[in-house]
Amino acid sequence: MRRFIIYISFAFLFSSCEDVIDVDLDQGKSQLVVDALLTNDSSLQIIRLTKSADYFLNAPTPSASGANVSVLGPNGKTFAFTNTGNGVYTYDPSTNGRLDSVGFVYQLNLVYENKTYVSNSLLNPVPLVDSITYSFEENELGQEDGYYAQFWATDFFGRKDFYYIRAFKNGVSINQDNPSSLILSEDAAFGGNGADGFPFILPIRASITNGDDPFALGDISSVELLSMNRDAYEFLEQVTIQANNGGLFSTPPANIKSNIKAADGSSQDEVLGVFSLSSISKNSIQITQQ
Amino acid sequence: MRTNLLFFLFALTFSSYSQDKYTISGYVRSAQTGEELIGATIAVRSLNTGVSSNVYGFYSLTLNEGSYEVSYTYIGYQEIKKTIELNENVELNIELKETVNELEVVEITDEAANKNISSIEMSVNKIDSKTIKKIPALLGEADVVKSILLLPGVSTVGEGSTGFNVRGGGIDQNLVLLDEAPVYNSSHLFGFFSVFNPDAVKNVKLIKGGIAPEYGGRLSSILDIRMKEGNKKEFTGSGGVGAIFSRLSLEGPIIKDKASFLIAGRRSYADVLAKPFLDDNLSGSQFYFYDLTAKVNYELNSKNRFFLSGYFGRDVFGSGFLFNWGNATATLRWNHIFNEKLFMNLTGYYSDYDYAFGVEGDDEDDFEWSSSIVSYSVKPDFSYYLNNKNTIRFGGQSIYYDFKPAEAKFASDGQTNDISLPEKFAMENGLYIQNEQKIGARTSLLYGIRWSHFSYLGEGVKQTYRDTTPGIRKPLESEEFFDKNERITSYNNFEPRLSIKYELDEVSSLKASYNRMSQYLHLISNTVASTPIDVWLPSTNNIEPQIADQIAVGYFRNFKNNMYEASAEVFAKDFQNQVDYIDNADIFFNEQLEGDLLTGDGRAIGLELFLKKNKGKFTGWVSYTISRSERQVDGINNDDWYPNRFDRLHNLSVVNSYELNEKWSFSANFVYSTGTPATFPTNRYEIQGIVLPHNVDNARNNYRIPAYHRLDISATLTPKKNENRRWKGEWVFSVYNVYSRRNPFAIFFEQNSDDPVVTEAIRFSVIGNFVPAVSYNFNF
Repeated sequence: MRRFIIYISFAFLFSSCEDVIDVDLDQGKSQLVVDALLTNDSSLQIIRLTKSADYFLNAPTPSASGANVSVLGPNGKTFAFTNTGNGVYTYDPSTNGRLDSVGFVYQLNLVYENKTYVSNSLLNPVPLVDSITYSFEENELGQEDGYYAQFWATDFFGRKDFYYIRAFKNGVSINQDNPSSLILSEDAAFGGNGADGFPFILPIRASITNGDDPFALGDISSVELLSMNRDAYEFLEQVTIQANNGGLFSTPPANIKSNIKAADGSSQDEVLGVFSLSSISKNSIQITQQ
Repeated sequence: MRTNLLFFLFALTFSSYSQDKYTISGYVRSAQTGEELIGATIAVRSLNTGVSSNVYGFYSLTLNEGSYEVSYTYIGYQEIKKTIELNENVELNIELKETVNELEVVEITDEAANKNISSIEMSVNKIDSKTIKKIPALLGEADVVKSILLLPGVSTVGEGSTGFNVRGGGIDQNLVLLDEAPVYNSSHLFGFFSVFNPDAVKNVKLIKGGIAPEYGGRLSSILDIRMKEGNKKEFTGSGGVGAIFSRLSLEGPIIKDKASFLIAGRRSYADVLAKPFLDDNLSGSQFYFYDLTAKVNYELNSKNRFFLSGYFGRDVFGSGFLFNWGNATATLRWNHIFNEKLFMNLTGYYSDYDYAFGVEGDDEDDFEWSSSIVSYSVKPDFSYYLNNKNTIRFGGQSIYYDFKPAEAKFASDGQTNDISLPEKFAMENGLYIQNEQKIGARTSLLYGIRWSHFSYLGEGVKQTYRDTTPGIRKPLESEEFFDKNERITSYNNFEPRLSIKYELDEVSSLKASYNRMSQYLHLISNTVASTPIDVWLPSTNNIEPQIADQIAVGYFRNFKNNMYEASAEVFAKDFQNQVDYIDNADIFFNEQLEGDLLTGDGRAIGLELFLKKNKGKFTGWVSYTISRSERQVDGINNDDWYPNRFDRLHNLSVVNSYELNEKWSFSANFVYSTGTPATFPTNRYEIQGIVLPHNVDNARNNYRIPAYHRLDISATLTPKKNENRRWKGEWVFSVYNVYSRRNPFAIFFEQNSDDPVVTEAIRFSVIGNFVPAVSYNFNF
């Protein structure tokens, strides 16, 4: 429901303003960062290892190489990730099979500088995206003229589900200019327990169009629906909050909790980042004359 | 109630001792409007004794048989002296005339000149509506809560935010009373304005310390706002046209000298002005707020008076969605004089705060959400004027609460569901007794105790959570169901209160006080500024009552025949069971919200200096506070103490008003305060191309944003008018934030949208420019 607060904060009368200022910040120690959002399909699976850096580095953070990265699957099967340079570790499912045993808890194993880190992710099922529909809408408060798309899918009934939804216009993410505004859904709604087994609610269905840049004839609208575990979902939820946490109704800034731990349980917050294995379902449509 | 009755009997017995003593009692009123005067002084100079009228204008003074000259004084009014042969009880109602030349005596408070020295009260500030109206205000709109921010010991988290912080306490720790009914959210437009119409306000009293036993339920302050009764002599009106509101209030007698009414309304009209300029598809958008305040009072006879007052206000926003919130209060009071020594006020009130949000969907896709807190209370208060040394007050209060944290339903593609959270119920009771005792000519004491009791009632669920590492969501262990009115959990607290005053001489005094307060309601709010959708919740088995202890010591000194008054106070406060939140707490639609809450301790300490000039063409005050407010919560900031988000070390206000002549007057105020603390990152890291902030020390509030300062000015033009004409108008020209300072509300960090690898510190200013305004006020 936090998103609701964004609604109300744009109702401002006054000349509130934002400007960029210089701030001196303390420096902190660099930590290993794991960016591992994996899917059950046949696409190339990528894990990126980097190091945290000074906040105002204003350059890509340094990559972490020399790690040994693998994911442990059912029956002791290990999916080894290969270092392809720049901290990018990949696994090609066409070589040794997909990570697609729904209901199995996959384990990330990562050895870096002689220390082992682990994280678990249960592979949850994901509903089909039945269809994408669209209609032409004239400009309204904060949105442009154009075609607005909605995706149709129904949450599984009788279980708590978490979803991450990615939307694209002609293959490019729709939230390029605001990468941290992720589309997340708890069952079929923003939160709570009431939307179990429902079609995704209207604001989520309609979130696959960027109001500043809606679709035109000939464009392709596509959507990916990913199942999540609670811990990875909450990680992403924190990403949307902490990456843009300003204004009257901001919440206290806090570090985002990683779901990756040192295997020996030594220090809790040694690594940053997230590991998640998702089932993915996709759909797309070309916008044509109606 | 049994205790009350016992005390009542005890008090009656007591009074029968003093055979040779008689009592003068009655009401002190304004001759012009018939309104009762609060805190008028009734003194017998020859005996160096006196009393003041209570909040209903009633006084009672008991003396030995004899002949006395009794003087009735009230600032801004002409003194009346009466010679009284006291050989029986005397009932004497007095009407004081206003001083003719207003320029000579401009009242800042309703007090007798040296009241601040002689009264037992400390840590108290009073403002009347005249003063509030003189302070330059945002868009020229005089505002009760914004005026309070200029007083010592009061601060805010930032411009435009709801509420106020008193001596290191949270905004939910202020008991805001409008004619004795609590107001749960005192703001219009997210906090830019407060809900109190200054045209309907008679008195504003802020009690920050030395809180008497008659008050309870909040930790940090009592903001006691009393509405005007309505002119009992003649029909009058006042109003104004400003940049944001239009106001109109009417008052007058229903039965001359017996019954009168007041009705006052305001409405914002930004939407009305904007309408012609909006596109067609925006013309359906709504954007306004309004409030209506009304009161009637009826004097049945000299022993019985009745007051009925009410407030209703709402903010409405809509554009594809509809969002509105507001308070409603109703208060019925009965003043009864049992005899010349025993005065009773019986109050019953209803107070409601609610909001509703909905999308303008169709039946297929819809979302409706509302929430409310409703309270009903009965509150008898007795004043027993035992003799001229002792004034005993006792009474009690019962409040029944009905909380609806969320009533919501939604539809998605034709499927509907109710996602309401269960209602919660609670009962809060209090009993108190206090005595204000004069010992000799210089010393007085106020001592007493309040006993408070709280029950969290069914129908409801008692949830038990398992303890975890602090800061991690607590898992639900078990649930137990309770029937209607069954007691789920209860708490009680004894709250001792003590104040001492010692007059060093005619012009100076020392005062000290201790109070313990307990609070059973909690405003669940995890944002920097409170939002209209924040929810009040009762104490439960998981949320313990908040408790605060405060000691304060002060030195009070007047200069130049009470032209100047000065005070210096130090306070120290200790808080228990302060509510906080785990990271990523979900505070809406969360049935297991209590698993996301943390509790901790708080502490605050400070020095407040205050200098006020009461009389002359030039009036105003300087207020300076140096203070610190911190909390310690396991699970936050590595379990160490950290400053509260509203903590400001220095806080300075300079408020001036100058009456040049009958035509022109000028006001200016300047405020300065240390920047609030903020949490800044040390590091960045990247996930999916998103740059995220990280603080390796896991610190909370480890930096300070730059200081806040602002100058506002205003000029009031009162055109010369025919004396016989009733209509009197004035123009107020004001500029808020004269030198256009971009005061930061917050500094936050984000990626540059054009070059995502670049991260920036963004200064967010709520008001980044000067804001000029003109308004026209009138009365007739």
